[in-house]
Amino acid sequence: MSENRVSRRQFLNYTLLGVGGFMAAGMVMPMARFAIDPVLKANAGGDYVATKLKVAEITTEPQRVDFTFDQVDAWYESEVTGTAWVYKNENGEIIALSPVCKHLGCTVDWNADESNPNRFFCPCHMGLYEKDGANVPGTPPLAPLDVYPHQEKDGILYLGSKANPREGA
Amino acid sequence: MKWVPTDIETFAKSPEYVDTAVIPLLPVSFDESIKESATMAEFTTLLTSQLERQLQGRILLIPGFSYLKAKKQEALNVLVQWEQEMLDKHFKHVFFVTSEYDWKQHEASLKGTLLWIPSLPLQHMDEKSRVSVMEDQVRQLMNLFIQKWREQESV
Ligand code: FES
Repeated sequence: MSENRVSRRQFLNYTLLGVGGFMAAGMVMPMARFAIDPVLKANAGGDYVATKLKVAEITTEPQRVDFTFDQVDAWYESEVTGTAWVYKNENGEIIALSPVCKHLGCTVDWNADESNPNRFFCPCHMGLYEKDGANVPGTPPLAPLDVYPHQEKDGILYLGSKANPREGA
Repeated sequence: MKWVPTDIETFAKSPEYVDTAVIPLLPVSFDESIKESATMAEFTTLLTSQLERQLQGRILLIPGFSYLKAKKQEALNVLVQWEQEMLDKHFKHVFFVTSEYDWKQHEASLKGTLLWIPSLPLQHMDEKSRVSVMEDQVRQLMNLFIQKWREQESV
């Protein structure tokens, strides 16, 4: 009888320990995630992502290029699609512009407004940018379009996962 | 802009540029149409969030309006109040986006624009076609918005 009671208490102890163990693990794991995430994020920011565009296919006419990469968010990892307008300028240099309007963030389109050919046009508040990304004075945007860093590898265009403000702007 | 504090801060700084509210209409039901409701709700949510990414500088995406599919009239009454509040307080344009065709017959009771986009069975598509199909739909939807804005600006 007394033996029986001890073993029952033991059993309870073990069970509680088990539950406690679980709880401890539950607490440590999210913390580890918090500690690790910023590192992953920093990596993602510096990487170059392969596009489907061959460098030889880049013309002087801006074309839309989509590229996907993994981004680690606060809560989950997700696939993000980036878009760039890519072309070669008069000097043959590759230019990759971000389509995000510097006014309030709408997506700009190339050559979309009949009265403004060969410019980037923002449909939200009629924002305009020249082909090189410079904002047209008198329209809402106050800064030129951001620029993606790019690399060439095996004839394929690689773009940085984050566009930066234009230098000297 | 989305219904989150950071976006609302931007909105508060230059409200004059954000003149359009978008309300996704999300059906809920528990009878034989339960699956269809879920498909519609998912599709509408996805579509409007993509749209927001494209036109975020001018639209404010209101949290989805869920309603009982069987009680359309009640839903409509509430929606009319929402719309009035938005027009009174700030917005020039109100858009409702839905996949449920039924709403079309109530269009006349609303001052805003009702956009009906049939939902697509996204769960049966592979990732690639899903993305391209969505992109297509978003582009069409975008054009409807831009067209509406143009109409008003040319008046
Ligand atoms: S967001 Fe592009 S002009 Fe306002």
